[in-house]
Amino acid sequence: MDILVSSLAAGLLIGMVLALVALGLTIIFGVMDIVNFAHGEFLMVGMYTGLLTAQSLRIDPLLTLPFAAIVGFVLGVICYVGFVKFLLRGPMVAQLLGTFGLMLFLRNLALLIFGSEDRALHHGLLVGKSFDIGMGVIIPATKLAAAGLSVAAFWAVWILMNRTKIGKALTATALNSQGARYMGIPTERMNALAWGIGGASVTIAGALIVNFWSVNPFIGLLFTMIAFAIVALGGFGSVPGAFFAGLVVGIITEIPGIWDFFTYTFNIRWMANVPMTSFKYMWVYLAYFIIMVVRPRGLFGWKR
Amino acid sequence: MEAIKSALDFSDFPRTDMFIAGVVSVFLVCFPIFPHSSFAMATMIQFLMFSLYGMGWNTIGGYGGQVDLGKAQYVGIGAYTAAVMLTRWNVPFWVSMPMGMFFAVCWSFIIGYPLFRLKGHYFAIATIATSLVLKDLFEVWDFVGAARGLEISPIKYSPPDFLRLIFKQDVYYYYIILGFFFLGILYVNWFRKSRLGFQLRSIKDNEDVARSLGINVHWAKVKTYAIATAFVSMVGSFHACYIKNIEPEDTMSLDLSILIALMAMLGGAGSLWGPIIGAGVLIPMKSYLKEWLGARAGLVGIDLIIYAIIIMLVSAVEPRGIWGIVERVRGRKAR
Amino acid sequence: MSLLEVRNVSKYFGGLKANDNISFNLEKGELVGLIGPNGAGKTTLFNCISGLHPVSSGEIFFDGENITKLKAHEVARRGLARTFQVYAASGDLSVEENVMVGCFMRTRSRAIARARASEILRDLKLQALSHYLVSELPVAAQKKVTMATALGSEPKLLLLDEVAAGLNPNEIEEIMAAIGHVHRDLGITVMLIEHVMELVMKVSQRVIVLDYGKKIADGKPEAIARDPQVIRAYLGERFVREHVREAK
Repeated sequence: MDILVSSLAAGLLIGMVLALVALGLTIIFGVMDIVNFAHGEFLMVGMYTGLLTAQSLRIDPLLTLPFAAIVGFVLGVICYVGFVKFLLRGPMVAQLLGTFGLMLFLRNLALLIFGSEDRALHHGLLVGKSFDIGMGVIIPATKLAAAGLSVAAFWAVWILMNRTKIGKALTATALNSQGARYMGIPTERMNALAWGIGGASVTIAGALIVNFWSVNPFIGLLFTMIAFAIVALGGFGSVPGAFFAGLVVGIITEIPGIWDFFTYTFNIRWMANVPMTSFKYMWVYLAYFIIMVVRPRGLFGWKR
Repeated sequence: MEAIKSALDFSDFPRTDMFIAGVVSVFLVCFPIFPHSSFAMATMIQFLMFSLYGMGWNTIGGYGGQVDLGKAQYVGIGAYTAAVMLTRWNVPFWVSMPMGMFFAVCWSFIIGYPLFRLKGHYFAIATIATSLVLKDLFEVWDFVGAARGLEISPIKYSPPDFLRLIFKQDVYYYYIILGFFFLGILYVNWFRKSRLGFQLRSIKDNEDVARSLGINVHWAKVKTYAIATAFVSMVGSFHACYIKNIEPEDTMSLDLSILIALMAMLGGAGSLWGPIIGAGVLIPMKSYLKEWLGARAGLVGIDLIIYAIIIMLVSAVEPRGIWGIVERVRGRKAR
Repeated sequence: MSLLEVRNVSKYFGGLKANDNISFNLEKGELVGLIGPNGAGKTTLFNCISGLHPVSSGEIFFDGENITKLKAHEVARRGLARTFQVYAASGDLSVEENVMVGCFMRTRSRAIARARASEILRDLKLQALSHYLVSELPVAAQKKVTMATALGSEPKLLLLDEVAAGLNPNEIEEIMAAIGHVHRDLGITVMLIEHVMELVMKVSQRVIVLDYGKKIADGKPEAIARDPQVIRAYLGERFVREHVREAK
């Protein structure tokens, strides 16, 4: 029983962080119909930012979030103004491969600068601490904090999108960019802003994830795929959809733990022989595939 | 008969193109006669292989406009079929290659059927997902050597072995893949003018128009996807015999899928020469950059950075690739 | 037996009734115009008939067969062709090759398709353009190419969607000649959506009028031109009050 509960709890906690990872992707997609393959690399940048600022300034990793947010915002805006803007004129093929080039660029730049080894945080207020919530279920403090802060960041972005003038302008651009332009909304600036917000939210997530996950230059793709799965499930462009889908995908990533629970509780021999941990992320890909085929608009899709 | 005539008919290209193509073909046939390093030979073989991958991708991705980023899974199926059959049952290449194509085409129908209900980005991402699922499975499947992969040890055979494609000198591999290369060009030349080719180009522009011209859009896509798959799987089988050491990480990785798509894009998707031009530019550049820069300490990744910058430039400035630039200068259309 | 029979067809997009309970018949050999103000549901009706949109309710019979549930390409193969307001099949194929895409519906052979295509292009006086790209042509020629492509599939019924929109009077003459040729010489039943009234009224044997998704009139062109309901739909309530009564 404890395996099941801790798997589910871990899944939900990681799901909240993953929802924040996917948020940036869904905002960018919603506003300008472009899928950013470099999304996971933005996350990687956030992870390195969190790690390096925490180490060089000797501050707690959780205090690095503002740095990560600024880096992410600037990175997003630069990418849009300097590159993505030009892609929007071209056909979809060009957009796919263009953001893919961006991904390769960021990934290998990180490789050149940081080398290929895994780096992890070893200090910090919460690193290594955990809560025992009874029944043998242990929750690492870093994950709990990351989940809490993710929800807070998610909520802040949601408020920004729904309760402010800028957010309304963004939504208008998303719904009908030409119409928005006629209404005097600077859509070009809105697009850049969407990339800024998208970049900031994913780098914040990266700075949170680095608290319990080591970082290397190749980590991006995994998170890109996870983010795609979440956005597909939640519906491309839907912000609340991303949150709930994040929770679902979080639980999907914990399928090996749940599998173990069934294996040992009911003592099923063949289940024990399946090397479930090596399939950990296969479920995410499979989930994406099935979701897309069964319900292409996602559970909460509102666009197209 | 009509098909063969059509395959050999390049008359809709201008004379200069045919002249350049002729010169390049003669060069390719004569290349091994010239003095060359084994590195240059390996690069040439890579170039021919990737041209073929690109031609395969180009049928569905270029003429059909369906951006497929999961071609590596078929490279893997082809390579593994050839390697498993050879190492376990001593089946010659010329039997295992068609078998590999058969398996790959079957798999392409299984995933292509649901996949082609998706469009655009959704389709592209889903192809990545299926490719990664298959790779994950191969990484734990003991029968095919799991993550360690498979090794074809040449000691067991007596080279040159034309049946099993085991040679000591690369020049044999070179001529075999060159043969495939020319056949591939003829096939694509036929394909682009065939009924399916025309239908596909119409689908690319507007699916509703295509439908009302009696084209079964879904089926046409699935069929073309199978053709692309057969191409890629064939070269995958060759890859297994040539490299002799295959593992999921290099035959089925996403990077390979992207490289294939990129090659065709860079050269010019939806044109006959595009993938060849793309491979001709990218492959030598990639190997030599890696040789010159990657080997030096502290410059790991710089070759891929340069490479990424090229991708970004092409997609932002001229999405129709190098062939697009050529055609724009001439003011003509894609072929 | 009618060639096309539309029975109580409705099409809803959410709460919007794009087509509301429309019924009519087309006899073999007729040339019928379909008119109505913008947004009246004309193109939607074409989309329903040609199978691109599933109908919300009602039935469609073509040549005695119920085609309501068929997919668009199956409908097309039964001999019901249509054109779109956009250009022909593919922008990077030449005019001749575009027409060949249509011909490929009936044959697998490239040679036969090519021969058919050049025949059609000659008939429509397009042979001089056959090696240009469709995207390089002026609008009038593009419209004719869309017709030629549809003819390539050897239809029994041809639905033309705004073939004269945006053309000058000379070009309209040409298009009218082409439509006449298709109808008279090839014996194909034609239904056309048109905003250019002089064209519809001149060539059509019968005119059907849609307004807000409903069929409001169906009859000979002369009768339609005098129908107060039609005039109201086009010119507005006030115009009818002030002018039509005076005329009486």
